[in-house]
Amino acid sequence: MSAAAVSCQSSTCPNGHPPSRLECPTCHKLGIQGSFFCGQECFKANCRINVVFGPSTVVLMLLLDGTFNPFGAHRFTGTVRPVYPLSPKREVPAHITRPDYAEDGIPTSESRKAGQPPRVLSPEEQEKMRTVCRLSREVLDIAASHIRPGITTDEIDAIVHNATIERNAYPSPLNYRGFPKSVCTSVNEVICHGIPDKRKLQEGDIVNIAADVSLYYDGYHGDLNETYPVGRVDDDVKKVMRTAHQCLHEAIKLCKPGALFRDLGKTIEPIARANGCAVVRTYCGHGINDLFHGAPNVPHYAKNRAVGTMKPGMTFTIEPMINLGHNWDLDHWPDDWTAVTVDGKPSAQFEETLLITETGVEILTAGKRRDDLYS
Amino acid sequence: MLAEEDDVPSLIETDATATAPEVKTGIAAGSTVPLTIICGFLGAGKSTLVKRILTERHGYRIAVIMNEFGDTADIEAKTINVSSADDPTAQSEEFLELANGCLCCSIKDSGAAAIERLMQRKGAFDHILLETTGLADPGPIASMFWQNEEFAMGLGRDIHLDGVVCVVDAVFGRKQMEEDHAADGIGESLRQIAGSDVILLNKVDIPPPEEVEVTEGMIRGVNPAASIFRTVRGQIDLKLILGIDAYAAKPFAKLSEPETGSHTCDDQHCGHNHERGLTHYEMRGITSLQIDCPTLTASQLSRLDEWIRTILWENHLPEDESNPNILEILRCKGVFVVGDGKLYILQGVRNMYEIAEVEGAVDSATGVPDAGKLVLIGKGLDEHVRRSLQVLLE
Repeated sequence: MSAAAVSCQSSTCPNGHPPSRLECPTCHKLGIQGSFFCGQECFKANCRINVVFGPSTVVLMLLLDGTFNPFGAHRFTGTVRPVYPLSPKREVPAHITRPDYAEDGIPTSESRKAGQPPRVLSPEEQEKMRTVCRLSREVLDIAASHIRPGITTDEIDAIVHNATIERNAYPSPLNYRGFPKSVCTSVNEVICHGIPDKRKLQEGDIVNIAADVSLYYDGYHGDLNETYPVGRVDDDVKKVMRTAHQCLHEAIKLCKPGALFRDLGKTIEPIARANGCAVVRTYCGHGINDLFHGAPNVPHYAKNRAVGTMKPGMTFTIEPMINLGHNWDLDHWPDDWTAVTVDGKPSAQFEETLLITETGVEILTAGKRRDDLYS
Repeated sequence: MLAEEDDVPSLIETDATATAPEVKTGIAAGSTVPLTIICGFLGAGKSTLVKRILTERHGYRIAVIMNEFGDTADIEAKTINVSSADDPTAQSEEFLELANGCLCCSIKDSGAAAIERLMQRKGAFDHILLETTGLADPGPIASMFWQNEEFAMGLGRDIHLDGVVCVVDAVFGRKQMEEDHAADGIGESLRQIAGSDVILLNKVDIPPPEEVEVTEGMIRGVNPAASIFRTVRGQIDLKLILGIDAYAAKPFAKLSEPETGSHTCDDQHCGHNHERGLTHYEMRGITSLQIDCPTLTASQLSRLDEWIRTILWENHLPEDESNPNILEILRCKGVFVVGDGKLYILQGVRNMYEIAEVEGAVDSATGVPDAGKLVLIGKGLDEHVRRSLQVLLE
């Protein structure tokens, strides 16, 4: 497997980030991967101040604009890099009800319910789920409307955070197991759980906004995500996006009382394969209600041992992560959150929260049809 | 050392292929590391067995994972302390590299992800042995590892569940089985026996032989699917407990028949049924049920799958929703012959199960069974259950 070259890393590249074989000699010597530029001008414009910290041999390179990659020595699998520092922790007004993990990051209520079967919600509880899912969808759509080359994922996080608290809701990812931000933004080869930072979106990127824009409102969570193109994207990028979308919606068609959670993967995986893509195995869909993540576990790959039969009143997500190419495997950045494809190829994801009704399924987070996903 | 703007060096041309990371394209069959869970009450001889594994020159490279080191202080070893990356002051892992090539680690988080990360750092092992604390029920732990083997955890070594081994004390085992208490009425030692694939009845040199017979009979009654070996001082050929493939989709050896009639009933109030097929050992609610199955049609197999998932997931028989939670299946195994000549294996622990087609050539040692068989181990396995299944299989 060999990359022909790496695209120009300059955020101000006037040439559209062409692939280049020209590398910073200092980075090369220090074993820092990926410092490629299309020419000396781009290199100088982003020139580094090398700062070597004491005995622990951490090499931190500050760009002139004050941003840096905190994991300089890490073997990144693609071209996306973290752009630190992260913005300060965002505040949530005191009047907004917080989930149990807002303070210490530990979802105690989830551990307490571990091992129990999926909850069947009463009609009142189902109505609360409808509300929070509708709000989640609103927030996602607002965030999505701001996608354009040049906006940073941190700015998207601010939009999500503010739209959420305006609705008197809590952004579910914030401090969940220590996650530092209010939304996950996953660009290109990032499969999921990308941390919003100062990286500017570039034309040709795809970005998944997981409004896992989950809102903790009235005691319940909503969870959805979509992958969006930034400007014009390549055909294979379009393909992986459409495939992920198709996988999700074909799986939703199977959902009704009596259907088995373990059967969803049997429909998803063939669609991925037929499109030259692979289904991520490490992360699964999940039950969602007063818990952010609970039973059932919903794998997206075929031949799984998932436990459970769908019953009216159950609420859960389906959220297939689809990688371009045949590698379903993944790697994690040293931030212990960002999951990336092992070969640097792009990954796309779509997610909805579903309610099983007496006769079928209701998509609680449903939004408008995305024309760009259909030919 | 700050670089002035004038000092910006010239870009060099690099062969970008040199920086492309090595890509693992998936796990080749058979290359995942087997993991065995070892349980047993304090004093049964589990620690003795573990110590033997860590000191003898058996040729295996085994990583033994314990909650804490306990009495391994006298083992000749090189200690390596590894602190957690997040909190350098907290020791989340500690390693002992043993003289015989084995590794002993204690970790606070014995979850699958933590163990996989550990294995990533320490390199190649033939086997992982996870020692549980004395009263622990191996069922949920086994179910977690059996589920996790489906996932690929990044680029780390992958683990698959090989089996559960239980060490039972031949001196006190019977008493423990009869007397131990737990919140829901199933004693911890019974749960351990029910959830195991190999049982080492240890210290058999101490009690009188008849006593050992009775204890072994009680164990068999609870779990006819497990292999039972009598041991002294934890001495057992390691290949009988490691590499046993207890969760594989492979036909398994003949199961032991339940004891019938040959015992004497001491209890005057013995009101149980001595009919063939019912075990005598209704020890505090745990029984085992074995049923022979004829060759099945494809549609019968499908109904059998529905029957299994109803009792495992809903805790009641399909036809009887009125009494939930009487049934609790701890372990199930089965082999089924389907009309088209195919062989299917049922494996299940707690509420997780799988009926998988047997792939490839059948091992000639065990051969193709003439008939299918199903074993259930758990609570509430009365005649209703047997009859319900028999109706289905007709």
